[in-house]
Amino acid sequence: MLFTTIAALAVAGTFLALAFHRFWTGLEKDRTNLVYVALLGRFWSWLISRSKENARKASVRAWWEYVKALPLWCLPVLEKWLFICFYGSLLYLAASGFIFAVFVPRGLYGFPLIGHVTAGGLFAVCLTLVVIFKGREFTSIPEPLILTPALFDRKRLGITAARTKHAAFWFFVLAGFLLTLSALLPMMPLLRTPGQKLMFELHRYSALAAVLAAMVYVGLELFERSRAEIIPNTRA
Amino acid sequence: MRRAGVFVLAALGLAAAAAVLSPGSAAPSAAQDTNQPPWDGNRTIPAHLIPLHDEFDEPIIPTGTHLLPFSARNTCGPCHEYETIQGGWHFSATSGRDGGRPGEPWIWLDPRTGTILPVSYRPWPGTFDPRSLGLSAWDFTQLFGRHFPGGGPAEPPDEEVLSDPDARWSVSGRAEINCLACHNRSPRQDHSEWAKQVLRENLRWAATAASGVGEVGGMASRLGGTWDIYDGPNPDDHEWAVAPYVKYRAADFDSRHNYFFDLEYQPSDDRCLACHSVSPKDELQWKADPDVHSSAGLRCVDCHRHGLDHDMIRGYEGEGAARGDLTAESFTCRGCHMGEDAKGRPRVEPGRLGAPRPKHTGIPLVHFKRLSCTVCHSGPKPKDGFTRVRTSRANRLGIYGVAVWATDLPAVFEPVYQKDEGRKIAPHRLVWPAFWAKREGRDVVPIRPEEVAAAAGDVLGQEERIGQVLIALTLVMEEDEMPVLVSGRFVFEPTVDGSIEATERAGVRDDTPAYWGIRKDGEIVPLVPDFDPAAEDKDPEIEPRLQEFLQALGTVVGAPGPAAIQAGRTLYRFVDGFFDVSEAPEEFGEAARPGWLVNGDLAPLVSDYDLRTVAAKAGTEQTLTEEQVGLVLAALAQASENTDFAYISGGRMFRLGGGGRLTSEKHRAAEPVTWPLAHNVRPVQQSLGWNGCTDCHSAGSDFFFSTLEATGPLLTKAASKRSSTSFMGLGGFFQGFFGLTFAVRSLLKIVLIVCAVVVGSLFFLAGVLALGRLAGLLEKR
Repeated sequence: MLFTTIAALAVAGTFLALAFHRFWTGLEKDRTNLVYVALLGRFWSWLISRSKENARKASVRAWWEYVKALPLWCLPVLEKWLFICFYGSLLYLAASGFIFAVFVPRGLYGFPLIGHVTAGGLFAVCLTLVVIFKGREFTSIPEPLILTPALFDRKRLGITAARTKHAAFWFFVLAGFLLTLSALLPMMPLLRTPGQKLMFELHRYSALAAVLAAMVYVGLELFERSRAEIIPNTRA
Repeated sequence: MRRAGVFVLAALGLAAAAAVLSPGSAAPSAAQDTNQPPWDGNRTIPAHLIPLHDEFDEPIIPTGTHLLPFSARNTCGPCHEYETIQGGWHFSATSGRDGGRPGEPWIWLDPRTGTILPVSYRPWPGTFDPRSLGLSAWDFTQLFGRHFPGGGPAEPPDEEVLSDPDARWSVSGRAEINCLACHNRSPRQDHSEWAKQVLRENLRWAATAASGVGEVGGMASRLGGTWDIYDGPNPDDHEWAVAPYVKYRAADFDSRHNYFFDLEYQPSDDRCLACHSVSPKDELQWKADPDVHSSAGLRCVDCHRHGLDHDMIRGYEGEGAARGDLTAESFTCRGCHMGEDAKGRPRVEPGRLGAPRPKHTGIPLVHFKRLSCTVCHSGPKPKDGFTRVRTSRANRLGIYGVAVWATDLPAVFEPVYQKDEGRKIAPHRLVWPAFWAKREGRDVVPIRPEEVAAAAGDVLGQEERIGQVLIALTLVMEEDEMPVLVSGRFVFEPTVDGSIEATERAGVRDDTPAYWGIRKDGEIVPLVPDFDPAAEDKDPEIEPRLQEFLQALGTVVGAPGPAAIQAGRTLYRFVDGFFDVSEAPEEFGEAARPGWLVNGDLAPLVSDYDLRTVAAKAGTEQTLTEEQVGLVLAALAQASENTDFAYISGGRMFRLGGGGRLTSEKHRAAEPVTWPLAHNVRPVQQSLGWNGCTDCHSAGSDFFFSTLEATGPLLTKAASKRSSTSFMGLGGFFQGFFGLTFAVRSLLKIVLIVCAVVVGSLFFLAGVLALGRLAGLLEKR
């Protein structure tokens, strides 16, 4: 129950944060003069209207067109298949894991469990390859820190959407590492019952962390792409 | 009042209510329990040099005459309140109290009618209440008193005694609670003696005899129904109908007529095992290991404790809540070893009596959620399928004497893994019921064996009929001779209990004609030799021998006619008490054979049907053939028209279909009866999983993929088969597939290790790089 509550709150919070980021970035007027209540009011109106708009547009065909238009299909063959396996395993793992954890009191069992274990192995391999071959694209070169009061100035810290994406990537890698570790160790003759319990919890919360990181990364990436379509040359 | 104050008061009120209503707090402590006598704190027990009293509360003077047996109620009762003890687990089955977790039922076995009927006064699934079968307390005591500790059904209240005119309580007396059955430390305590006394209907004398306090003679079962204890010895009969009497062991009395009881506060395991032994069938005694707790020096009662109320802790999870006493939870496996109650909460003190905390290294958590401790640790390992065991009460073990009491039937199997009441998989013992029944709608009502036997007539009882002939012939055999019946590849010999047993002859065809013979020095010769009665030089010993045979056959009770022996065209028989040799009628043919003269014909000693039936069952433990079942069902239907009769055996229900053909179908009454097992607990190195996951999770593991074929008294190919997974309520295909995945699990582990090392290293490296850049160290280089 605790995990379900935390997971629901964390996912909702991340979703709202990403939505607010879109809303905030799209504000045309001077944003500093808005009072919080008015800001929240406008945010909710924006969120509702946008949800309605998306709901109107949504259909199986629209989704299919969207998927077909993904840049994934244009990648070189090895890279394409790497990402197909990576995204596919991630989606199955997240779906099977969270659906059973939240809605099935018994937890994950049966053939979905076998699928989960298989997809887990595939995910670990794909993640390793992604980190080896793509990790370099997610390193930024921050300025060396200087010990001045400016260190605590949020604007001068350089927290940009691009760097947040990088951080989300590495956060995802860390969560993936912990997921692998917490799946591996219970299978080894190493841990006693308390250790098994710890690994079980670590696996769940690492999975939640991975999903949140993926949400942040994908949310920012999609927003960036949609902005680039509207305003060219805005991609970082 | 402020809102906060109201809230605090409400919370305190709720907390107080919860404390009052919670099961744990409802349990009175030992000090508050009025049923428990106060304990002075000393851990010794006093020497029991006490006067014996009989059931009329008269003191017993061992040198007196016509002594009565001692009464536990009046001897032990003055210090240990008898009525309190009567509420104990072993004595309260008939009281209607909650039966708790199912235990081993009593099994009513009648091989002749093929009845294996689980009965229990406790409402356990699959069992029949004895009262619903018309079994009175007297009947129940007659059937199962051999393994009673006294009390309960063997000591019915006056109303029940008076309401059952067929019972012989006034002759036998009632079997009071036999305190000594458990608490006697003396090696004289003899369970076999108890069983024999119960069989002789010497119920009130049984405890005295079994404990060795006195020697009991006579048999109440041979006395008339009008005899009672006030009548004293039978002056008319000193040989047969001798009234029970007791001679006390005077040496154990002191000069004040106090008897020294060598007692134990905590009974030894031997006393428990007299009625609670379970051992694999056909295993050698020296190969059988005891429970690991016993090996560690614990006694049964170290965990199965109770106070004076004798309300024994049975030791299953959830018992604490049912009893309203959390102490019971600390005597479950989980409570004692892990300190957890049935819901996994750390509410009990672990480590009692030095119980070690298990490591369970590498065992995934789901096993603790879905399996009881006993799955991996108790009963025989599921090696090569299921283990056939015998239990004391079901198979009448532990009663020794000239006769063999122990039986192979009913067939009890373990470990059968299935979900218990807490939805956890646990090992169970199993028995397939077998009984004759009336169908009433979807339900079945068992028919008592004696009713079936009465309706069946000669359809049943072939073994006894053949046994009677063979036993009669033994009267005229030499010491080294044994009369036998040879049929097909089997030779039948008489047994001491009037039946027959079959031995197989190697290299003999099934269709070898049957004949009566004599086994001598390992060879079998025909009972009636092939000779020419008219020959001048015939053996002079032959005809006197035939005369002896005829005399012997003349003692067979219920024979259809006088015995006769035909040899060629000559007929030997007794006419008016004189040996007669005459010419056999034409229609008799020229065979050499014994038989019965019936309506001018020479009928065989046993019918073809009898021969066919015993030959079919020979070498098996089955007691009925399909032909017999069909005939009995027809006989039952004839006796009671408009009633649908059925026979249940081997997990199927058999009925007479169109054209008198026997058909079988599934029915819930034919489903096996199971009860959880807890012992023997195996050492940790013999537990499941010690050798790894593949102990259970492999494509063909015994744990998941053993098959149990239903057994029963009926010799049939229609018996049902059940797989382990079906007992567990799991999918066999999934478990097979899941087992297969363990073939590649090592590979998966290697892959995950490599991935974890690579990803972890790169993440660490990226982190170090980022840190170095933030600190400006990398740029400087």
